[in-house]
Amino acid sequence: MRRPLAIRALRGLALALIVVWSAFPIMLVVASSFKPPRDIFVYPPTWLFSPTVDNYVGLWRRWPDFFSNLVNSLIITVGATAVAVLSSTLAGWVYSRHRSRLLTFSAFFMIFIRLIPPIVVTLPLFPAVNWLRLNDTHLVLILLYATFFVSLGTMIMKTFIDQIPRELDEAATVDGASDWQIVLRVILPVAAQGMIAAGVFVFVYAWNEFLFAFIFTTTRAKTAPLVVSEMTGAVDGVEWGVLFAATTLQLLPIVIFVMLAQKYLIAGLTAGATKG
Amino acid sequence: MKRFSFAHAMMVMPVQALLGLVIFLPAIYVFWLSLNESSFGQAPRWVGFANYVEVLSDPYFWQAFLNTVIVINIVVYVELALGLGVALLFVGGVPARRLMIAIVLAPYAISEVSAVVMWRFMMDPTIGMVSQTLAALGLPTIEWAVVPEHGLALICILSIWLHLPFTFILLYSARLAVPTELYEAARIDGATPWQEFRRVTLPLMIPAILVSVLFRYIFAFRIFSEVWLLTQGGPARTTEVLAVYLYQEAFRYNAFGKSAATGWLMVVASVLLALWYLRQIYKRMFAADA
Repeated sequence: MRRPLAIRALRGLALALIVVWSAFPIMLVVASSFKPPRDIFVYPPTWLFSPTVDNYVGLWRRWPDFFSNLVNSLIITVGATAVAVLSSTLAGWVYSRHRSRLLTFSAFFMIFIRLIPPIVVTLPLFPAVNWLRLNDTHLVLILLYATFFVSLGTMIMKTFIDQIPRELDEAATVDGASDWQIVLRVILPVAAQGMIAAGVFVFVYAWNEFLFAFIFTTTRAKTAPLVVSEMTGAVDGVEWGVLFAATTLQLLPIVIFVMLAQKYLIAGLTAGATKG
Repeated sequence: MKRFSFAHAMMVMPVQALLGLVIFLPAIYVFWLSLNESSFGQAPRWVGFANYVEVLSDPYFWQAFLNTVIVINIVVYVELALGLGVALLFVGGVPARRLMIAIVLAPYAISEVSAVVMWRFMMDPTIGMVSQTLAALGLPTIEWAVVPEHGLALICILSIWLHLPFTFILLYSARLAVPTELYEAARIDGATPWQEFRRVTLPLMIPAILVSVLFRYIFAFRIFSEVWLLTQGGPARTTEVLAVYLYQEAFRYNAFGKSAATGWLMVVASVLLALWYLRQIYKRMFAADA
């Protein structure tokens, strides 16, 4: 069915606006990170410039630790994703295959817990983490990030495992497999899609998180977002070129990751939001 | 069906232990803390509900409360309108659909910190392109670091930019789930596009709309990083939201009791917001549990 020209023009315009709205700020930062200083502040912004890596060299000189902060971010992100996905898969299988009052109650508890704002628990956790000598470690952030996503993760895994035929479990039981063997040998290999869907959310969250990193790390375990925020608050004025280089390194990998994982992100969001 | 066994308990344990030890017990402890007066290196002293009285009579608390209410209502409903609009636009057919969806989703991947860098650069009163455009048009510039209303407006823009993908995806999936036969039937009955939207699309999307609005309310209510990174609640505590107020009371003024009381007020508000949803979930879960 052909639409009238005016309608098509309006749709085209709306589409162009949403693309500019979503992509322009990101493109601007990435492009500016390769601009020589005089081109960064040109108004209106120019897309024609001779690219340079000076800002990245500047970042390397001025903030040599930034690259180890990126490594911290990676370690914490991978750690949190592994903890959250594995624990969610185990729990998701139990919730998918079994029913009891206690289980239902614990599932409800899991949803209820999601209502507690993260800032609230920082208050008692701050002294507790210090007392356990876990402050400024990767482990504390791994556990925090994993915890705030196991509820959603379990819901997603339950939804995915619900779609795996029970006959697989039953066949394994007949062959004498224990519950652990069923989950680890039978379910895990076929639940990969769900695990990726559950993992995407923790991964993005852990890579980007600011509040907990701000409160629980000081030097050794500092993550990239925290250091970028320090650059924006530098007392001797913001060095925009260097800041754009750091921001680009922080955001580009995860933007590409999200674009590639689009399918899983959508599946996970719909499963997690409508079911839990 | 097999009964609940020791193995099952062990499998559920990691998730429940994390939730219990990292969120639930600390939250209970916060309640106890809220009934005491305490600070660094000082033994807690029982004061009953005095902290709550103090918080509720603190003008800074009410400023933060009002800011939070304004910001979340703007953010949630603008996101809903935009998300619904974009979802319907996409359902009508777009070129390079997968790529387009990827572009609309991109801000989901951006950290609050990076988003603040982008928007601060564009909105900078002297070098920012938005300010320069406004100046070129003879309009006053956005003084977000000085004028509280402008600061809050920028916080809203930033928050909408970051979270539109979430609302969009939920609504887009929900719209795709509406059976096409219904539209064919409506067309045979001679429905106009508006009637189609009003009588078919909207009623069938209501559950998804409610869920996305509810989730966004609950998460927008916690807003901290955008505000902290943009204005730190300033100038003079005028742009604080509840989470920033809580942080300031705890980590700047060392008033743990007041801060804990704020925390519990936030928990109670979240639960009240979600009460309807919790009831639905509860009924469905315990009905299935036969």
